[in-house]
Amino acid sequence: MPEGTLCNKKPIETEEALKALLADKSGKVYYEEMKSLEIDDKLLWKTIQNTLKSRLRTWLKICAHCGMCADSCFLYLINDRDPKQVPAYKIQATLGEIVRRKGKVDNDFMHMAMETAWAKCTCCNRCGMYCPHGIDMGIMFGYLRGLLYQQGFVPWEMKIGAGMHRVYRAQMDVTDEDFVETFEWMIEEYEDDYPGLEVPVDKEGADIMYTVNAREVKHYPEDLAEAGILFHLAGENWTVPSKGWEQTSLAMFAGDWAACKMQVESVYEAMERLKPKRMVGTECGHAHRATVIEGPYWAGRKNGKPPAESIHYVEWVAEALRTGKLKIDPAKRIKRQVTLQDSCNYIRNNGLKEVTREIMSYMVEPGYFVEMTPNKEHNYCCGGGGGFNGIGIFRPQRNKALITKRDQILNSGAELVIAPCHNCWDAIRDLEEEYKIGIEWSFLKPLLISMVEVPEHLQAKE
Amino acid sequence: MFKKILFATSASLASDYAARVAFDMAQRYDAHMTIFHVLGVPTRGYSQVVLDVKTGEKIELDDEYVSWVEEEIKTYYSRQLETAGDFEIKIVVGFPHREILREARDSHPDLVIMGGSTEDEGVSVYKKSMVGSTLQRVAKSVGCPILIVNRPAASFWGGMSSVVFGTDFSKASDAAFKFSLKVVQALDCELHIFHALDISDLHLGKLMTQDQIETKIRESLKRIRGRYIKKLVKGQDYSFDVWEGIPYIEIVKYAREKQADLIVMAHHTRKMDAEDKRLGSNIEQVIVRAGCPVISINK
Repeated sequence: MPEGTLCNKKPIETEEALKALLADKSGKVYYEEMKSLEIDDKLLWKTIQNTLKSRLRTWLKICAHCGMCADSCFLYLINDRDPKQVPAYKIQATLGEIVRRKGKVDNDFMHMAMETAWAKCTCCNRCGMYCPHGIDMGIMFGYLRGLLYQQGFVPWEMKIGAGMHRVYRAQMDVTDEDFVETFEWMIEEYEDDYPGLEVPVDKEGADIMYTVNAREVKHYPEDLAEAGILFHLAGENWTVPSKGWEQTSLAMFAGDWAACKMQVESVYEAMERLKPKRMVGTECGHAHRATVIEGPYWAGRKNGKPPAESIHYVEWVAEALRTGKLKIDPAKRIKRQVTLQDSCNYIRNNGLKEVTREIMSYMVEPGYFVEMTPNKEHNYCCGGGGGFNGIGIFRPQRNKALITKRDQILNSGAELVIAPCHNCWDAIRDLEEEYKIGIEWSFLKPLLISMVEVPEHLQAKE
Repeated sequence: MFKKILFATSASLASDYAARVAFDMAQRYDAHMTIFHVLGVPTRGYSQVVLDVKTGEKIELDDEYVSWVEEEIKTYYSRQLETAGDFEIKIVVGFPHREILREARDSHPDLVIMGGSTEDEGVSVYKKSMVGSTLQRVAKSVGCPILIVNRPAASFWGGMSSVVFGTDFSKASDAAFKFSLKVVQALDCELHIFHALDISDLHLGKLMTQDQIETKIRESLKRIRGRYIKKLVKGQDYSFDVWEGIPYIEIVKYAREKQADLIVMAHHTRKMDAEDKRLGSNIEQVIVRAGCPVISINK
């Protein structure tokens, strides 16, 4: 049987197909079908010839197998230094092998490659910093995922995630109407506490266009209210687009290149339509990478930049605190040991390490902020990056991967971990659930709300 | 006036007293009741795994599991459901407070009924990631009156005949008064209007003399007359009083003395403080302590 009914080479294009795939509990049928999925080796080889550009080709060739990358990989370290977890080995044994065999690989090989691509690499890009040649295995795995997706060898949740983006232009089944309605609902809930609070939808020429993560809309819309409140207190001229509001991209994790382009273009269209001075995205790491760093290239933008200047939420917070738009009540600063999770996707990949620490200098009473070791651009992945958090069949591997972060946190002595990234936040929540080390974790927004001064003219009157 | 009741339940011990009141009210007032259960908290972002709120287990959600939970609920309330009239069972996934608020917003019930805290049933990780209990969050934001039953409501079995309205003379209290009026008129009850003069805060600063206390009590009695008594319809059975003390204790005592079947109060705790996860405000303390259901009105 070349193609399964659920597991096949066709992307999810309709709501019905999405529902059918979702109804397959744990992807049971899906993975069963995958066992007999045929490989279209001609297509695979043709794709490689068309898309494997000089950088990746060079990287594959010049790897000296020196092993310097081994110790840089937290998955290698946590898995008892298994040689099969050495980044260079992992990519040579998969992408390297496919190229050497000119795409002539079998089903077992593709299964192995799928597990390697999604359970042995979180695309954290740490190895790239330690390779004497500057070879970045994370980037190559991102590319490999694309090939695997094309051939249908992609974890069930990732196929669903990419399908969500194709159907809803969001990572979850949240429609544009749901988004606007939910944001307005949240404003209703908080407008008594913050007189004048509103959500300006589709306002042209605003200073800030705010984009979010669909999970905020679906499950914890308080996050939307908190974002609105902070913009309101800072006196910002802001807006949200009624279309193109989703900043994340599970399509990127899935390797669905076409869906990546569709998703990011929806956000760029919103920028072009509303012409904001800047876009600010929510506290999410991969969303920033997808929309701000990689997205311009997916969308074929020559200058490598989104249509409007785009910054991460932490950049906005730091700026608001620096310029005094938001003022922290010194009495309410955090007065217990607190540490900061550096998200790979905007720290290592976008150099925002000093910005987040600047925020800490305002929020935390001097003497209470502690660093993890290692930190900043050398920090380890939370353990759940690159889609790892969401994949059921690789849960045991993921849980083991969390131990790195668990021990980093324990060694720091912190009681509270500030994680301005959805994936990191999830991974830290999960590690608390799994290993119960008695820590708390938080995004920036609720902490900021609990400590910012409300200007007199914005205070609620009883 | 209670034609549509939304009974939000954990289908566990914490909701048992509330269940009694909910089923009784639905039957007595011939109401449509939605038995609303939030099955689990979504976990791991985009994965399909949820954490069952009751068992704490990680489960993969599908129709089969949902119908199993529905059967569980039917079994749990089998005795009450035998005689129940118009009801439906709704099961959803999400964070409990958010889903209850969503349902209340969509279906516009006349009353939301909830039990006390499930805190004693084990603290799961999801609770740590949110400030405030489900009850606090729902009471703060829900757009209709919410009735909470935390302890066995002994006198409730005879229906409602005595309502205590506790006021702090705030705007929110005016709304609570309006609602109390509607209840006592519709259900033909006595209304007892009560204000507690808070002397608890004063211990630290200065001690009030008894003369000062009594002057304040007289002032408050005057305020009650001016603000509420004037608005009562003719023939309404009522009384009013002002006692000094710790407000929530005094309200509970007063309700006990009046054999209240219901306490109505305004909820206007603005901020939820991360440091204070215990039920903080007066009404929340009243909810925990009162021997009868408490209705909270927030706007």
